Amino acid sequence: MTQGSWQMLPIRFHRFDDDSILLTNLVGEHFFLSEDEFLAVMDGTCSDQVLLARLRARHLIQLPGERIPVELLAVKLRTRLRRLPDSTGLHIFVVTLRCEHTCRYCQVSRQPSAKSEYDMSQDTARRALDLAFRSPSPHLKIEFQGGEPLLNFPLVRWIVAEANRLNQAHAKRLTFVIATNLALLSTEILGFCAAEGIYLSTSLDGPADLHNSNRRRPGQDSWERTVAGIRLVQERLGPDRVSALMTTTEASLGRPREIIDGYADLGLRQVFLRPISPYGFALRQRGGAGYDVSRWLAFYDAGLDHIIDLNRKGVPMVETYAAIIAKKMFTNEDPGYVDLTSPAGIGLGALVYNYDGDVYASDEGRMLAEMGDHTFRLGNVRNSDYRDILLSEELLTPLQQSLTLSAPMCNTCAFEPYCGADPVFHHATMGDFVGHKAMSSFCLRNMGVFTTILRRARDDSFTRNLFWRWAQQ
Amino acid sequence: MMKLSARTKPIGLRGPVHPDVWRVCRPDEQSPGLPLACLVTDSEAATGARDIHLGRSPTGVPGPAVRLPTELAHVTAGDIVAISPDGRRVTVLWKKAAKHNSLLLTEQCDNYCLMCSQPPKDRDDTWLFDRAKRVVDLLPASAVSLGLTGGEPTLAADALIDLLEYCRKRTPWLQLHLLSNGRRFADPSFTRRYAQVGYADIMVGIPVYGPEACLHDFIVQAEGAFEETIHGILNLASLGQRIEIRIVLQRHTVPVLHDLAIFIARNLLFVDQVALMGLEMTGLARPNFAEVWVDPADYQRQLVEATRTLADAHIVTKIFNHQLCVLDQRLWPFAVQSISDWKNGYLDVCCGCSVRDACGGVFTTSGERVSRHLRSLDDPLPSPLDTSGRFPAG
Repeated sequence: MTQGSWQMLPIRFHRFDDDSILLTNLVGEHFFLSEDEFLAVMDGTCSDQVLLARLRARHLIQLPGERIPVELLAVKLRTRLRRLPDSTGLHIFVVTLRCEHTCRYCQVSRQPSAKSEYDMSQDTARRALDLAFRSPSPHLKIEFQGGEPLLNFPLVRWIVAEANRLNQAHAKRLTFVIATNLALLSTEILGFCAAEGIYLSTSLDGPADLHNSNRRRPGQDSWERTVAGIRLVQERLGPDRVSALMTTTEASLGRPREIIDGYADLGLRQVFLRPISPYGFALRQRGGAGYDVSRWLAFYDAGLDHIIDLNRKGVPMVETYAAIIAKKMFTNEDPGYVDLTSPAGIGLGALVYNYDGDVYASDEGRMLAEMGDHTFRLGNVRNSDYRDILLSEELLTPLQQSLTLSAPMCNTCAFEPYCGADPVFHHATMGDFVGHKAMSSFCLRNMGVFTTILRRARDDSFTRNLFWRWAQQ
Repeated sequence: MMKLSARTKPIGLRGPVHPDVWRVCRPDEQSPGLPLACLVTDSEAATGARDIHLGRSPTGVPGPAVRLPTELAHVTAGDIVAISPDGRRVTVLWKKAAKHNSLLLTEQCDNYCLMCSQPPKDRDDTWLFDRAKRVVDLLPASAVSLGLTGGEPTLAADALIDLLEYCRKRTPWLQLHLLSNGRRFADPSFTRRYAQVGYADIMVGIPVYGPEACLHDFIVQAEGAFEETIHGILNLASLGQRIEIRIVLQRHTVPVLHDLAIFIARNLLFVDQVALMGLEMTGLARPNFAEVWVDPADYQRQLVEATRTLADAHIVTKIFNHQLCVLDQRLWPFAVQSISDWKNGYLDVCCGCSVRDACGGVFTTSGERVSRHLRSLDDPLPSPLDTSGRFPAG
């Protein structure tokens, strides 16, 4: 390519390390350049043909008159956005607010186990199902949450049966997940999950002392019950039918290896090193969650180190957040993770049907409501139809305002293709749907994660191959 | 090497041989209306001469025949041959015993690849399409697959569509593999015609030699080829057609192999398979030896990277024309014993090799030009050869 002959395709850049500049295109293809190389490419004086060819292969530059690069970019962008018209796939049923745990960081305003006025009624559930089946999505995932959903197991049973009945007319791909602490797992419940092909998602914060101090229940035996429950599900339903999530608290920060090893010991192949969310009790109880982003990032980095080491030794273990981001970096798929997608995942990615019939744009939106902030309440199953909910100003306004392709500072950010819009977070922490990214801990945290993933993939071929493999799962 | 074409001696010809394509059969075989040529071995004569008698069972008076030379001793009943009008040349078009049979449809091409094994010739050869139809007429019901190759078969668009329609009517069960540079498919109306033939099981193999235009256009010696080829692939995909991408491993493609694999995974993930092909040192590859040759032993790292990248992205990946002794063991699950039987040979060094039967062997057409690292593997395999097509973990 003769000097000055190439054109830049839509790209964004970021000063990455000392002498390294990251270039990304619309769909997240990327390349690292030294500062000198970057300037030479920009001002048209570069004569390094190998470098220019590599930039051209990644659709960062093109020659005038070429049609293929833009056409392929368009194909890739269409691929990334192709699920958008399907609309909502995940439908969360809060079948009860009751819970026998009293976790320190609990995001929901839980109720003691006996107060049945916090249970969802069959009538509410039926109306919620009617709404869920209005979604054009060919795949419906119904997730039972609480509280502890197993405290209202009869309703779970009823919803599964009713959904299956309704689906005879719709023929959608229907899956069920129960988010449960597993403490109340019984033979009856296991048998039901086996018969209906239900997945179980549980919480496991780490070693017994850490888990039990975070997740309190009478008898202080949450860890023992959860672990026994995981083993039972693996044994009876199969190893892939139960997954666990961990929540990072102040007490977890120094113990990433123990947490991860605990997952490996249980034969779990995935661990999700999640930050604590700023909602619900967690936001109020600053004492338990008051660590800052940089400490969480250090924890994440150490955890990722350990996970990569395990893989090097032949122990397969995936860090879920890195896998989600790797998918955005190395493929054209949007993994559809509701907290890291744009347009935001609220409403479009998930709808939450609260026990009382109120419909929320996200689980976090429901938690804000429990604290008196009803911003993300989209309607109620008794008086709203599907159109009212999906076209409500309560949903469209935050969606529109928070689009990363147009939000200030997001629109010029090189990490934009990997990131997402989180209007609920920014509303909760900064009072508007967009927020000021220079002060956003969402932004700081995710930039930190993108940086560590990109740096590791750039600097080590084993890690690059591992992330590539995670991305393709 | 098995020769597929040789001079022959006509016996008792009273006029030009007609038609030009015949199926060789046993003396007792009868099939009225078909051009059957009965193979008769004169076992009594010391020469062991083998004649093929044209058109009728050789009872009584010997009819017109063609005497096969020793180079064509491999010809057996079931093979399909072309006989020149003067009876002085026989060319084998279909070998019954071969796993892969291909029909040359034209020698014309609008690319001029540095390593082309079948250098293009610019002359009218549309008669090859007609001959191909006559071969199709004679294919046995047991035929599994047929390659259609060139040159560039799509240059004669009408003739190709006509041939595909002919195949759909006559041999709809056959797997067809069309080898094309893909450029003609950039024309949506041609691609639509191709798709509308509605042939059940056809795949088009299209070479892509680089992740961007510069390198690809250089290797195929045609400016604008990359644009057209990729457009062609996109057009084919949009009509649900099956596509194979072929990458010939040579001096210019090896350094970009990983980038090319990433490009395919990122941009052409919809293709049905990717074939990584060892270089056949024949045709233009001989004069361009210095430009194209690289010892396979010297590109194993790049081949591992590319294969891992493609296979992990769930793209069916196959490695053709490689000897197991130079192939990284992690690549064995992807290796296909692929070299056409008539080109497949083993060297002295292969004698006693424990994996010889699973190995592709070498191109006899490549002559002396093979990896300097060929060797016999002594140890028997610890377990059956992994043919999973999945990259080993770790």
